[in-house]
Amino acid sequence: MKLKRAVALLMTAAISVTTVGCASDKKDADKTTTAKQQSTDATTGGSEGEPVATSGGETYGEIKLGESYKDLTTTIKFIHHKTDRDADGTIAGYIAKFNELYPNITVETEAITDYAEDALLRLSTGDWGDIMFIPAIDKSELSTYFTPFGTVEEMDQYINFPKNWELDGMCYGIGYMGNAQGLLYNIRVFNEAGVTTLPKTPDEFIDALKKIKENTDAIPLYTNYADGWTMGAWDSYLGGITEGDSTWLNQKFAHTAHPFADKGNGTGAYSLYKILYDAVAEGLIEDDYTTTDWEGCKGMINRGEIGCMVLGSWAVAQMKAAGDKPQDIGYMPFPITVNGTQYATAGPDYCYGINANSSEDNKHAAMVFVKWMVEESGWCEFEGGYPISKTAPTTFDFSAATIIEDEPALPGDEDLMNEMNSESELSFNAGGNSKVQAIVEAAATGSKSFDDIMAEWTQKWNDAQSSLGVEIKY
Amino acid sequence: MGNSVSDSAGFKAWFGSRKVQRIIVMVTFMIIPLILLFLFTYLPFGEMISFSFYKMKYIGKKTFVGLKNYASVFKREDCFGALKLSLYYMLGSLVQLTIALYLATILSFKVKGGNIFKGFMFFPFLINGIAVGFIFKFFYTRGYVFDTVLQWCGFNLENLPYWLKDQAINNYSLVGTSVWRYFGQNMVLFIGAIMSVDSSLYEAAMIDGANKFQQFIYIIVPNIKKIILLNVILSITGSLSAFEPPYVITSGANGTGTYFVIMHEIAHTQQKVGLASAMAVVLLAIILFATLVQKIVFRGIYGQEED
Repeated sequence: MKLKRAVALLMTAAISVTTVGCASDKKDADKTTTAKQQSTDATTGGSEGEPVATSGGETYGEIKLGESYKDLTTTIKFIHHKTDRDADGTIAGYIAKFNELYPNITVETEAITDYAEDALLRLSTGDWGDIMFIPAIDKSELSTYFTPFGTVEEMDQYINFPKNWELDGMCYGIGYMGNAQGLLYNIRVFNEAGVTTLPKTPDEFIDALKKIKENTDAIPLYTNYADGWTMGAWDSYLGGITEGDSTWLNQKFAHTAHPFADKGNGTGAYSLYKILYDAVAEGLIEDDYTTTDWEGCKGMINRGEIGCMVLGSWAVAQMKAAGDKPQDIGYMPFPITVNGTQYATAGPDYCYGINANSSEDNKHAAMVFVKWMVEESGWCEFEGGYPISKTAPTTFDFSAATIIEDEPALPGDEDLMNEMNSESELSFNAGGNSKVQAIVEAAATGSKSFDDIMAEWTQKWNDAQSSLGVEIKY
Repeated sequence: MGNSVSDSAGFKAWFGSRKVQRIIVMVTFMIIPLILLFLFTYLPFGEMISFSFYKMKYIGKKTFVGLKNYASVFKREDCFGALKLSLYYMLGSLVQLTIALYLATILSFKVKGGNIFKGFMFFPFLINGIAVGFIFKFFYTRGYVFDTVLQWCGFNLENLPYWLKDQAINNYSLVGTSVWRYFGQNMVLFIGAIMSVDSSLYEAAMIDGANKFQQFIYIIVPNIKKIILLNVILSITGSLSAFEPPYVITSGANGTGTYFVIMHEIAHTQQKVGLASAMAVVLLAIILFATLVQKIVFRGIYGQEED
């Protein structure tokens, strides 16, 4: 009896399994055919002409705001890092204006606090929405995750910095605003200290800081050490400003044997970080750097309690808004002069990217929205940013310095800087805050000389070059 | 096929039997928690172990490197050296347990306003760790709360150290926040254990002429040693994996980067996921080892009668 029961049970189980198996086989077969058909469609569609942004859709350049895709009804999602603009309703205001033109495109937004990390994690899931600010990914991965806006050549007619997220001649990202790199300072403090001409070299700058210390009560240079990223901001002066060479950062740096060598003429990466070391060693910074307060420093510089801070131009708007003396906040080119010229690099902040996995409708709607945000919203101007759109009105003036834009890496080398940053763990312009903080610590405690630090960096850089097999060219 | 009816009846009877039903109930109750446990604990853990043998970032290709990541964990000064900072936190946890045990003993006897004190001392544990970090960032800022309080006590600001800047003491400052946050929790656990001690023992001890300290040594401690052991293990493993105070208050800079903070930096800033996974596995091994050693040591102290 027992045996019979077991056999019966087995039979039932076997039958049900085979039935289910058949059914699923059939479904799979159906699926494969449809997939095959679709892929043939796609190939024929794609091979007809030039590479197009969205298959069958209009590129960024072709879209006429207010005319293209007027009848499109869909909902798109935009994830971004501007929690402050989300909270104060600025973004909602832009979307409301956008909806006056395109009432049928609903835009949902999500502001993420720890954006740089969260966006990367979300990106790998594929299901994050339709528009995001592109996080730090390898350029070769761009086409996996994002839809191109058009060719770089074409985009160059409409926007600044189309090459920032370039892959195979296509532009995958458009900045929401641009940043110029210089020095944020309080004009009144500099005048009271008797600094009549703006410093142009590291030596002049240290002298100016000393004058501020002697003649005023202000903190000459506020490091913002505790917040970390504010220290990492020093990296953004590498390249154009320190070398006067737009190709150095992305094309030469990784191939240079001694990028941190002392050139003896007040230029180069050595001089950049030496400014920080000297300022700390001479006591020209805040008393207790471990407890600096980012929110507090805005009001302090506005009131004239801080002489200057090393921050990108994006910070100007915030410092002006933080108190009742916005006229005192100034922005000057960084005090490094290469062959008689002061350079300022400019580049885009976070860039809009459109999800490659979104539906066609959503891609079109996202394209329209991005174009509207860049051309019509006035967001960039509102933030006091360097202009992105070549046609939108702007008030940004930085005529004292020669503006150069860092060239992207050469073909085949797109990922090299990321690889080098990761391998050497110096992470230039990629969250490598701790190495700059270490300069402050060493200078304050006297535990290491500046040349020792640079020698360590060179060692790490060279080790990374040899472990990645990077050719030394310079 | 003629007896299929009787077969199915037999199956029904078998299926309805108490033994089978019990197994079915057990399986159906357990299957969901087991699946969740597997899906969210063991599967990711297994993945992490496999990551530790690769050189990889979050996205992009991975290369198998064997045990190279483990070798770097031990060779690199910043990885393994960071464990030295755990000594500060272990020292802190001993202080914390002593304070907790002391206060628990006092509060478990009749004390005026005992419940209010318990509430106040347990309260820090209820505050979110990030908030605690921000509170103490301002607490330790030059000329802010701590310095002001010390100045009331007659200290001169000139003579006070920089609590977070001075590398000789900044780790003690951070450990202090951790002690402040967790001693209340330990204390409540101890009070709970002390409550369960049979009160007739105290009476008997008092008749025999034992004072409070003798009662503590000979009655309370032997009765709550399991809880003490548990707290010691939790505190030691906790101090090996200290993260929140250094991460929030100093972001691991200025010589305060504990093992976890370094691991976070390597995984998320440098994107060396393989190396960070190897660090995590090594830490797990260390924690398991530490727990085992403690078990053996405590068994040695308290004799074999445990379990």
